[in-house]
Amino acid sequence: MNASSHLQADGSTTPVWWVGLRYIVAIVVGAIFVYAGALKVADPVAFARDISNFHILPWPVGVRLAFYLPWLEIICGLTLLLRWFRSGATAILTALTAVFIGATIVARLRGIDVNCGCFGSASKDLTFGWHLAIDFTILGALILLWSLQRARAR
Amino acid sequence: MTRDLLRQTALLLVIALVPAIGQAVYYRDRVSWNAPAVEKDEVTIEQARAWGANVLWVDARPDDQFARQHVPNAVPLNEDRWDELLPRFLETWSPDRRVVVYCSSQSCAASHEVARRLREQAGLPAVFVLHGGWEAWLEGNK
Repeated sequence: MNASSHLQADGSTTPVWWVGLRYIVAIVVGAIFVYAGALKVADPVAFARDISNFHILPWPVGVRLAFYLPWLEIICGLTLLLRWFRSGATAILTALTAVFIGATIVARLRGIDVNCGCFGSASKDLTFGWHLAIDFTILGALILLWSLQRARAR
Repeated sequence: MTRDLLRQTALLLVIALVPAIGQAVYYRDRVSWNAPAVEKDEVTIEQARAWGANVLWVDARPDDQFARQHVPNAVPLNEDRWDELLPRFLETWSPDRRVVVYCSSQSCAASHEVARRLREQAGLPAVFVLHGGWEAWLEGNK
């Protein structure tokens, strides 16, 4: 082992830049989800209205999800930051982001004026294009994190 | 690896339930669990109808949606062309009429924003938001 590699538990080595990249992506993505979740936790009723606006779920389901999803984002974001359960957190956040992107596109195709509520009231003035650009960037970062973790596991 | 992933995923899904249930219990009397609640500055389609001709409808949606269809006699007033449309709205407004603003649905923010600006910037006293927006209007006119 030399200064530019990192020793794994199984005795193999990983380049330091690879480890560094994984940490940076995990910290950035984790912080984004903790922030996004915290904004929604502060006003679950507003988030329930945002979910309702997608016209996919009935209100009783949407309002219950409005209490659950922000905490799921916060817990998963925190585990990424703290380097616990990273695979599980990455899988959940990737699935959430992919479902959300799909729902946004479907809502748009149905002509629904969607305020996603992804970042609480901070995102209410963003255009549809900006929403999608941010969501795809986050999805890209999650997929990158996923592949970095998989590469480490091999 | 797969087993570990499933275990982690299941654990995280369960852990998130704990604060979520705690917050839901804390909010239990402040949330409408079966249908969206009518806010203080909102009126339902039935209430607005009961006011009859004393209502001045304001369409806060973008121009293209207004052009496609709108509430009969509604006046367009959106934030994109606020400075241009406000004088035209004020020509139509009279003190004896209640203003009801709508946008496309319950969770769009435009109607609340236009209503707020009409109260604060134009100083109008009786400005309300239609609960459920344009969708509620369509539903009520089926």
